[in-house]
Amino acid sequence: METADVFRVLTGVLSVLGALLCVWVARVNFGRIDPERKVSLGVATVSGVAFFKLLALAALFAVPAATVAVANYHTVEGVHGVEACNRCHVMTPMVTDMRDASSQTLAARHFRNGWIAKDQCFVCHSDYGLAGDLRAKMEGYRHLARYTTGTFTEPIKFRGVFHNDNCLKCHEGTPRFVAVPSHVTVRARLADSSLSCLNCHGRAHPTRDQRTPGHADYGRLTGEKR
Amino acid sequence: MNSVRLPALAAAVAFLITALYAVDPGPYAMAAFVFLAQPLFVIAGAGYAYRVWKDLRGRKVL
Repeated sequence: METADVFRVLTGVLSVLGALLCVWVARVNFGRIDPERKVSLGVATVSGVAFFKLLALAALFAVPAATVAVANYHTVEGVHGVEACNRCHVMTPMVTDMRDASSQTLAARHFRNGWIAKDQCFVCHSDYGLAGDLRAKMEGYRHLARYTTGTFTEPIKFRGVFHNDNCLKCHEGTPRFVAVPSHVTVRARLADSSLSCLNCHGRAHPTRDQRTPGHADYGRLTGEKR
Repeated sequence: MNSVRLPALAAAVAFLITALYAVDPGPYAMAAFVFLAQPLFVIAGAGYAYRVWKDLRGRKVL
């Protein structure tokens, strides 16, 4: 079981526990609790009123705080997997193409040759998306809002800049990379991403046309999800 | 402080949304957790804190 799954299960357990606690606390009228009533907590005995106030503290502060922390960790960890990207149908063309044995896109070649063992989307796109820095997380939330409210048009378009660091972090300094003279010649431009790796190495994913509804490849790439 | 019914119900709804998110972590459940459940937790916590503050003021502790 992976870490994200552990946190997912923990989120579910805490949520059910929290919901039950809340329902219990909601039914209590503190003014009607017998002042003489005592409740034993094992290490101490407290009045009934104090017990239910502690229970309210747990139900409305402690358990929600723990649940939100664990669920957010699950969110950030869970988005690393390819399936997390594939859950939004606008990303399905990228994933379908990546897994297509006959595709020549960079993503497909990396996948087919096993150059990235797992979490293939995340490894090449780790500087943005939900698992990136704070600004990237805000972008991720914007994407989530746009997707779930249907306020987007296909094909989707990445508004930012794809930083070459995502490629260079694996390729730079390797014998095959260094052996190509042009890599040295344009090193500065690669470093500041003013020259894209894709200029020489072909496109990474299906073209925007292919991802447009109505295109001959659209049905195949989306698996007719829509 | 007689009751924390409203904050508790708000938190219960938030917990249920979070439980659904744990069962099916798709985009809609994630959006419900991020944009509904989390604000509901904050509202519940604030509602509870307000009742505690009012209770303590009533007893002249604060």
